[in-house]
Amino acid sequence: MHTLGDYLRLYVIIEAQYIKARMQYRADFLISSVGMFFSSLATLGIFWVIFSTIPSLAGWTFTEMIFIYAFYMVAISPMQILFDHTWQLRFHVQQGTFLKYYFRPLNMMFYYMSEMFDLKGLTQLAAGIILLVYASIQLGVVWTLPRLVLLALTLFSAALVQISIVLMAGCAAFWVVDSYPVLGLAWKLREFAPYPMNIFDGAFRLAFTFILPIGFVAFYPSQLFLHPQDVSPLVYFSPVIGLGLFALAYRVWTLGVNSYTGTGS
Amino acid sequence: MNSLRSYLAVLRGSFMVGMIYRFGFLFTILGNVVYMSVVYFLWRSIYGTAETLRGLTFNETFVYVALGSAVFILLKTYADWFISYEIREGIIAIYLTKPVDFQLYALAMSLGSALITLAAITLPTVVMLYVVFRVPIQAGPGLALFPLSLGLAFLISFNFDFFIGVMAFYSESIWGTSITKEIIISVCSGALIPLQFFPQAIQNVLLALPFQAIYYTPLMMVTRPDQGWEVYLPMLGVQLLWAIVTFVVSRLFYNQAVKVVRVAGG
Repeated sequence: MHTLGDYLRLYVIIEAQYIKARMQYRADFLISSVGMFFSSLATLGIFWVIFSTIPSLAGWTFTEMIFIYAFYMVAISPMQILFDHTWQLRFHVQQGTFLKYYFRPLNMMFYYMSEMFDLKGLTQLAAGIILLVYASIQLGVVWTLPRLVLLALTLFSAALVQISIVLMAGCAAFWVVDSYPVLGLAWKLREFAPYPMNIFDGAFRLAFTFILPIGFVAFYPSQLFLHPQDVSPLVYFSPVIGLGLFALAYRVWTLGVNSYTGTGS
Repeated sequence: MNSLRSYLAVLRGSFMVGMIYRFGFLFTILGNVVYMSVVYFLWRSIYGTAETLRGLTFNETFVYVALGSAVFILLKTYADWFISYEIREGIIAIYLTKPVDFQLYALAMSLGSALITLAAITLPTVVMLYVVFRVPIQAGPGLALFPLSLGLAFLISFNFDFFIGVMAFYSESIWGTSITKEIIISVCSGALIPLQFFPQAIQNVLLALPFQAIYYTPLMMVTRPDQGWEVYLPMLGVQLLWAIVTFVVSRLFYNQAVKVVRVAGG
């Protein structure tokens, strides 16, 4: 039985090798980082265009939207950096190379995800932190210690929600092989996480709160810092939601791993 | 004539491969409807009580954006991905020995999978758009020119993808370049938001660039049926010009780049 410390040590060793291997392609790393940076800023550009036409969206100003978006960028970074291998799951399942992950005395999800460490996600994380600081200053958000603790907690939970949603979508590969449409939809809907949830009507808001809880990736936690008077009590349960959802995603992964029989190729 | 037959065979093969993913179609259509609903609420909220914004009514903007999301998947040719894959894996050598033009071969491949996307995803999505949201799509010169305009848009989109794909002759991976291209196209072409919403100065710049010919031109034809031939025919002319320019430029680039692979020995 391995302890958490063992896994951490192992992870550092694996990723050090991985990063060395990736650094052979320096130009690729550089261009990818630039690409990531641009793709992060594109949504901000769209916000800017929208707010050049209207002063506020459902009661939220442009600067507040920057705050929510910055929160979102930081919250999705752990998924991007640590769990990026989820996207390749369908290829491994289809080509049968997934079998190799059964043969090591390690947690399978750990082993599988450790094979990729997405360096360009670090650009996104950095851009998110810079934007978060910028928006906080502009909005006059005071970061007291309790608030920083709250920020850390909500970010952790939001990251878990994001990881769980994409992970579950990726696990569809175990049953339908080509999980791209499922992943694609989860990815597309996720783009709406930084929008105010009050623009959606009943059914959709309910779905984005309880069924596919992208509301917890950025909007609800940001509300805690920007419009604390409007926050529903539910938002204080967000750490539980993050952990609960990840437990569910892990369960789906285990079910998938146990039912996988290969595609015969 | 014989040569056209060989490209048709490639097209047919690519179409057949696309047929494998039938489960995907259903899910993608469903996904598109959900996505269009989300877009509907977003724009409803942006319009608020306003009758028109930047000269467009809510209905017009929604038709533009929703149809945009329906043709988005159609205009994504993925040519950059499969070309760069074939170059990286050395499969390109096989095509260089065959009496086919590589650019036309890649176009036939893309067209084959686009046709299946059109039949299996785009058309059903448009039908759903009509049924679920009851959007008023009116007949007129714009609607008549739309298929032609969409065809040209596909060709321009392909030319960009082909160009990026050919860059794989020089660079190990094209992920970064390809993502950057996609971002530039989706923002500058008016794929996500009608160009009217951009500030005037930026709008002028964007209208002078080739990207607007991919989304803005065909989508406007359906969005504003009240305008006539005198508005749409020049737009189509500009589109045709960009289609030719991008085709020639990417072809010249390929002719130059393919020499590199010979030097390197494949």
